[in-house]
Amino acid sequence: MGTNRLRALCTLIACALAAAGLAACGAGSGGSGSGKSISIWEGYTGAEQQEFTRLVAAYEKANPGVKVNVLQVNNDNTLQKVLTAVRGGTQPDIAYLYGSWAPNIAKIPQVVNLTKAVSKPSVNWNDFWVGERAVATVNGRVIGVPALVDNLAVVYNKTLFAQAGLTPPAATWTWSQFQADAKALTKPAIKQYGTAYVTPGSEDTVWHWEVLLWEAGGQILNPSNTKAAFNSPAGLASLNTLRTMAVTDHAMYLDPTDSPYANLFNSGKVGMLVTGPWDLSAFNNVHYGVQVMPEFPGTGGGHQTIAGPDNWVLFNNGAAQVSAAEKFVLWLTAPAQAKAFSLATGDLPIRQSVANAPGFTSQMNTALPGVDTFIANLGNVRQARPQIATYPQISQVLGPMIVSVLLGKSQPKAALDQAAAKVNSILAGSGS
Amino acid sequence: MAVTAARASRRSESVAGWAFVSPAAVIILLFGAVPIVWSLVMSFQRNNLLSPHTPFVGLRNYRQLIHDPAVVSATEHTVIYTALFVPGTMIVGLFLAVAMNRELKFIWLYRTAAYATMAISTISEALVFIWLFDPSYGIVNYFFSAVGLPQQQFLNDPSQALGVIVVMTIWGWTGFAVVIYLAALQGVPKELTEAAAIDGAGRWATFRRVTLPLLSPASLFLAVWLTINALQLFDEVYLSTQGGPLGATTVLVYYVYVQAFQNFNFGYASAIAYLLFIVILVATAIQFRVGRRFTYYRS
Repeated sequence: MGTNRLRALCTLIACALAAAGLAACGAGSGGSGSGKSISIWEGYTGAEQQEFTRLVAAYEKANPGVKVNVLQVNNDNTLQKVLTAVRGGTQPDIAYLYGSWAPNIAKIPQVVNLTKAVSKPSVNWNDFWVGERAVATVNGRVIGVPALVDNLAVVYNKTLFAQAGLTPPAATWTWSQFQADAKALTKPAIKQYGTAYVTPGSEDTVWHWEVLLWEAGGQILNPSNTKAAFNSPAGLASLNTLRTMAVTDHAMYLDPTDSPYANLFNSGKVGMLVTGPWDLSAFNNVHYGVQVMPEFPGTGGGHQTIAGPDNWVLFNNGAAQVSAAEKFVLWLTAPAQAKAFSLATGDLPIRQSVANAPGFTSQMNTALPGVDTFIANLGNVRQARPQIATYPQISQVLGPMIVSVLLGKSQPKAALDQAAAKVNSILAGSGS
Repeated sequence: MAVTAARASRRSESVAGWAFVSPAAVIILLFGAVPIVWSLVMSFQRNNLLSPHTPFVGLRNYRQLIHDPAVVSATEHTVIYTALFVPGTMIVGLFLAVAMNRELKFIWLYRTAAYATMAISTISEALVFIWLFDPSYGIVNYFFSAVGLPQQQFLNDPSQALGVIVVMTIWGWTGFAVVIYLAALQGVPKELTEAAAIDGAGRWATFRRVTLPLLSPASLFLAVWLTINALQLFDEVYLSTQGGPLGATTVLVYYVYVQAFQNFNFGYASAIAYLLFIVILVATAIQFRVGRRFTYYRS
C-alpha cells in the first residue's frame, strides 16, 4: 500500500517536472539552430521601441525566411537574465547590454568574439566614435557592436542668464567662468541655485567628475591599470573646483537621489546642469541652451567629455546562429539604419558618417533643440574609463570620495589619498 | 470486507490529495528550494556567474565577511533600522486602528485611506518622500522653519538619511498594521470592556489592562512579520539613496546587491545572504520565545 502511494506520487512529480522542463525548453532559443530564427533581447520603450520594431520588420521583409524574435527586457535587468540563461544554455543570440558591464561580460565563454567580423571593410569600424570602440573592446577583443552613445555637456537656462546680466557661455569657456556664473546665478532668497550635482555616490556621481579630471590633465589609473593615478594635482584641481561651488559658494544643489535635479532645472530653479541629451526632452518649461564642458586653461586637457555607450553583444548558439545574428546586428548598425534610428528617436548618431551627413544635424535639432551641441561634442570624447573588471569596485570608492568632499565632510587632498589607497588595494587583488 | 473498502477509499483520497498539491509543490521546490540550495553551494565558491570556473573555497567567503568593515556597518544599519521601524509601525498602526474602531460616518473611507499606503507602489512612495524631505524645497523643512526649528539636510546628511527611510517605510506599512489591529480589535468582546468599566476602570486602564493583552497575538504576529521584512529592506533604499550618503543607508540586502550585481562577487554575496538568513532565524526565534510569555490566547 505504502509503495503504491509512493509510486503514484513519484509518477506525478515526474510528470510535473517533465512539463516544467518542456516549458523551459520552449522559452529559450538555446542549442544550435539553422540561423533562420534569431532571438534578441532589448529594452527599448516609446519612440525607440516603435522605430526598432519598424527596422526589424524591414529586415525580415528584405530577408525572406528569417525571423527576428524580439523579447523586451528592462535594460537594468538584462544582465541578470542573460547570466541565468547562459547557465541554462538558453542564452539569446543578441542582447542589449550596458557598456559598463563590458569587461565582465567578456568573461562569459559564450560571448562571441567580433574582432574579425567588424574588421571587414564593409563594416567601416572606424566610423564608430572612438569612445564607442573603446567600450566595445576588452583586451583587444571586440565583444560588442555599439548600440547607443551619449555624452555630457552643460545645459543652461537662457532666461536666468539674462536676468543675472550674464553673457551665455561660449564654446571657449573655462571652469572659473562656470564657477563665477554659478555664483552669480545663486539666489538663496528665492531658492535658486547656480548648478546641481548628483550625489548618490554611484557611477552617476563618478562619471561627471571624471570629465573634470581628464580636462585638468589627469588620469584615473596609470597606463597599465595597475595603480591609482587620480591623486594628482589634476585630481586636486578637479575636486577643488566642485568643492568651491558646493561648500564655499553654496551655489550647487546636491541631489542625493538622482531625481529632483531635472525637475528643478525645468522649473527654473537651477541655472546650469551638466547632463546628457536624454534629459533635453523633459525641459519644456524653460528656455535652454547647450554648451560643451568648460576647460581648465593651461593644462592641455582642452574641452573633453565622457561617453556612456551601450553594446549589442552576441552569444554563441552555433555557427549558423552566430552568422545570422552578426548579419542582423551589422545591418542594424549600418549608416542607413543608424541614421533612421537617430532621426526617429533623437538619440545621438552612433556613427561619425551619420553625424557628418549634410542636413542631418539641423534635422535633429528641429526635433530636439540643442542636440546639435551634443552631436558635435561626441568629437570631444577622447578617452574611456579603464576597461577592467574591477572598475565597478573602483567606482564605489570614487563615489563616496566625491560626495564626502561636496558635503564638506573631508578635504580634497585627504579624500584623494584615502581613495587612492583603497583603489590600489583593489587593483592589487586584496580588495573584496 | 467493509474495512478493506474504507481503506481503499482512504487510499484513493490520499492519492487525489497528492495529485492536487504536487503541481504547486513542484513549482515551490523548483523556484524556492533550488535557488536556496544553489546559493548555499555558491557561498562556498568563488563564483562570478560569468565564467564556468567556480573553484570551491571552503569558508573563505564567510571568513572574509567577518573582516569586511562594510558588512559590519551594513549590519549596524540593518539593526538600527529594524529597531526603529518595527515598534514605530506597530505604534502608529495601533493608534490609527483604535481611532477607527468605532461607528463613524464615512468610516469605510478612513479605513480605505489607511490601507491605501499598502496599495501605492514603492517607486511613487519614494518619489513623494524625496520631495517631502528635500532640504531646499521640501515641505518638512518648510514646516520646520515655520515653527522656528533649524533647517535639516535629511537625505544629504549621513546621520539623518536612515531616519528618513524609517519614516518612509513606516508610512508604507501602516496600512498593513492597521488592518491587522482593526481585525483584532473587532474580536475584543464588548462584555469584557463593559465589565471593566463597571468595575471602575477608566478608558486608559481598560485599554491597557483589557484590550492590549487581548491584542497580543496580533502584536506578536506583526512584530515577527515586520521584523522579517525590515531585515530585508531593499526597495526604498535602491529607489532613493542608493545606499548613500557615504554608505549611511547601505543595509545588508543592498550590500548583497552591490556585491552580486555590481561587483560580480556572487559567492561572497551568497555568504552575506546566508549571514542575513541566520540573523532573521535568530531574531524570529527570540521573538517567539519572548513573545510566548507575553501573548495571551483566549480559548
